[in-house]
Amino acid sequence: MVKLLGQEIGGKRVKHSMISRIFDNLLGRGSAAVTVPPMDGALKPNNQLENLQPGIPAAQVDDIVEWKGEPLWSDGATLVSRSGVQAELPSVITALAALDDTLVVATLDDGLILLGGDYQRAEIAWATPITNVTAISVDQSGVILFCTGSQTNAPNEWRRDLMETNQSGMIGRANPKTGEVRILAKNLRYPSGIATTASGSIVYSEAWASHIVEMSADGSNAQIIFDEIPGYPGRLCRQENGTFWLSVFAPRNPLIEFVLREPAYRKAMLQEVAPEFWIAPHFYSGRYFNEPMQGGALKQMGILKPWAPTRSYGLVIELSSTFIPLRSFHSRTGGSRHGITSALQSGNTLWMACRGNGEILEMQLVEKGKAL
Amino acid sequence: MTVPVVEMLDVTKEFHGNPAIRNVSFDLRPGEIHSLLGENGAGKSTLTKMIAGVHEPTKGQVQYLGKPVSFSSPQEALENGIAMVFQETNLVPSLTVAQNLELGNEKLLNRLRGLYISAQQFLQSLSFEVDPTALVSQLGAAQKQMVEIARAVRHNARVIIFDEPTATLTPEEKHHFFNLVERLKNDGVSIIFISHALEEALNISDRITILRDGMHVITDDASNFDRDTIIQHMVGRNLTDELYGKDKVKRQTRPLGKRVLSVQNLSMGSMVRNTSFSVFEGQVTGVFGLIGSGRTETFKIVAGVNKRNLFHGGEVRLDGKPVRYRVPRQAILDGIVYVTEDRKIEGFFETKSIAENIYSGLIGADLNQKSVVSYSEMAALAKTWTDRLNVKAIDNKSKVIELSGGNQQKVVLAKALVQKPKLIILDEPTRGVDVGAIAEIHELIHELATSGLPVVVISSYLPEILSLSDRILVSRQGRIVEEFSIDDATEERIMYAAVH
Repeated sequence: MVKLLGQEIGGKRVKHSMISRIFDNLLGRGSAAVTVPPMDGALKPNNQLENLQPGIPAAQVDDIVEWKGEPLWSDGATLVSRSGVQAELPSVITALAALDDTLVVATLDDGLILLGGDYQRAEIAWATPITNVTAISVDQSGVILFCTGSQTNAPNEWRRDLMETNQSGMIGRANPKTGEVRILAKNLRYPSGIATTASGSIVYSEAWASHIVEMSADGSNAQIIFDEIPGYPGRLCRQENGTFWLSVFAPRNPLIEFVLREPAYRKAMLQEVAPEFWIAPHFYSGRYFNEPMQGGALKQMGILKPWAPTRSYGLVIELSSTFIPLRSFHSRTGGSRHGITSALQSGNTLWMACRGNGEILEMQLVEKGKAL
Repeated sequence: MTVPVVEMLDVTKEFHGNPAIRNVSFDLRPGEIHSLLGENGAGKSTLTKMIAGVHEPTKGQVQYLGKPVSFSSPQEALENGIAMVFQETNLVPSLTVAQNLELGNEKLLNRLRGLYISAQQFLQSLSFEVDPTALVSQLGAAQKQMVEIARAVRHNARVIIFDEPTATLTPEEKHHFFNLVERLKNDGVSIIFISHALEEALNISDRITILRDGMHVITDDASNFDRDTIIQHMVGRNLTDELYGKDKVKRQTRPLGKRVLSVQNLSMGSMVRNTSFSVFEGQVTGVFGLIGSGRTETFKIVAGVNKRNLFHGGEVRLDGKPVRYRVPRQAILDGIVYVTEDRKIEGFFETKSIAENIYSGLIGADLNQKSVVSYSEMAALAKTWTDRLNVKAIDNKSKVIELSGGNQQKVVLAKALVQKPKLIILDEPTRGVDVGAIAEIHELIHELATSGLPVVVISSYLPEILSLSDRILVSRQGRIVEEFSIDDATEERIMYAAVH
């Protein structure tokens, strides 16, 4: 019976025990399995991101938002639109959201701040400091919803947070009128995307758990609504028709899953190896010859056959209002449009922040099923 | 007038009183290529097996070189110059290619080196790239087929019967094969060619004979046929189009539902190798692959029939939760139902009645209302399902073995459906099923998917895969290697993915 522990049989879960964990570790299954969900169905790989025209250069691009009727994105500490740099802040921007005429901005040093129409900082005193913000959204009543990725690592240290397998993220709501801050959920595995649904519930992505959770506006009744994402899900953006765009900023692969189950190895790696060379996901890869190899040199019939694990990937998924994938756009191992950190649909145009290649991508959307 | 090499006069063959071949007359001329065509179950293989000594006719006469013959075994037929290359290869897996080629012709003392050299030369003369020293068990399906063909040629046969020889060959191998057939023909060998690939038959044959439901329909020169007339003769009406959608209004693809099954890096010995795929609700997921591609084995792991590797065997997730079954019943309790490709061995209790078989499905899923066997519940259940699936039998107490293939399959399906599946896997659901029942089973599959059930259909018949599926997975060498949406899929693309 031991081998059944931890498995689901006949709708009943057989409880985990120490013995089952030992067996799982020994046999590489259950909680110790290093498998990765398949990319098929609506997630079937294509090269649509790679086929796009060159985008607008933005080396440190991170988040993108529609403000005053046009897309506005963060590039390091600057706010940029199609007409050029709009403002420069003292610290790197980690998330953006629009609240009517006010721009809600999260920065590395100052946490959550509000900018007026002229990009001047508005005075606001939060009841508790809001730091390490990875994503922001605004609900129908004008209250700001935010994700704190980690209590210990800033958003630009996300790879370290994954390698430390932290579970210290939070979801909170902040009222810009009163300064009141309320934590709705905590001990989360790097929440990095948040949105509201048409019914007013909150959905957020938990990157290290590779799933999306829906909960009531007061933080109760949390349940997983989209699981087994083959990468680390990031920001969510809801469309007028109720569908969502989900940015998956890095891929999962069996090697990294394996490393994540080896604490001693990870500890040594974090201490002794430069971050660029960690066996960890990244926004980009292949820029240094001594990085862990990707897409290693096997070319057959003119097609690059990656045999080394993929550390970076470009993936944007359109989800239905019930969180079923409808379609996806990819940049595969051999491509460069990796590390999509944010996506925004404006009319028939999909704007994407491509951190891996440092550019803003623009895609003309057509009806699902037709070629671009 | 030339004497036919083989002539069959009014031949009938019955199995357990059911005629598989009825009053068929057939002749094969010297040095001709004669294609034998017909739907599955038309009696092509049975007819040729009577020539090759596998079966003896119940009635009628087989003549070889003008004399009546009755071969008691394929070996005797081979000694007399009639060789048959079977659909399922008849090679000895534990022997090498060279030893298999020599099987039946062994000398008292055999020198392995000499055996290998002569086998090498012989295979090269046929342009077959097969290592004569390789064990047959290590060969792929196509290479096994090549060895079978080489073996037939090796025995200097005057008549060679090829039963679906090209199904597992790549286009290049097919090219070699057809060159070889031409060469054999020029050497005076008579060839019977059984194939589902109508274009191949049209291109290569001198004459074509078509069988339907065990009866002779027509024999004529190949030049007098085209694809459409062949199909019409094969099915009696334009049923192929009805079934496989040539003239049918193009079916809308059902939308992708929630992911129900996620198979991740699944491995089982050398049969299933690190395969990953998903199955979604509300759609028919078609799985195509050649024999030995691991498609059945993969889904048998999902259904708890086979066991994955003990170490790092991968994961199967049902509704996002990892599952691992020791026996199929656990999978059934979780709502995974697998309908076998081999119904006679694994699908039903042949000596039990229709009602008892259907009720056994209910008991297997713990869904019977009473803890003891209830005959009233059994009768009501059987009535419901035989009516719904249109099972044709004298009554529900008839034994399943007495039914036709199509009705047997409907009973197996009923047995599966009473278990209220959350995921249903149908392995070759229309194999050995008559054409009328095929249409009904197809309709049922569409109904199940439209009602929201995730349905997996494993089939070797490409038109069936194309007519049923919303998305198609292609299996090769133990792995799902390609996925097609129905809009992208063509027979050529699927076959290319399956063999390359």
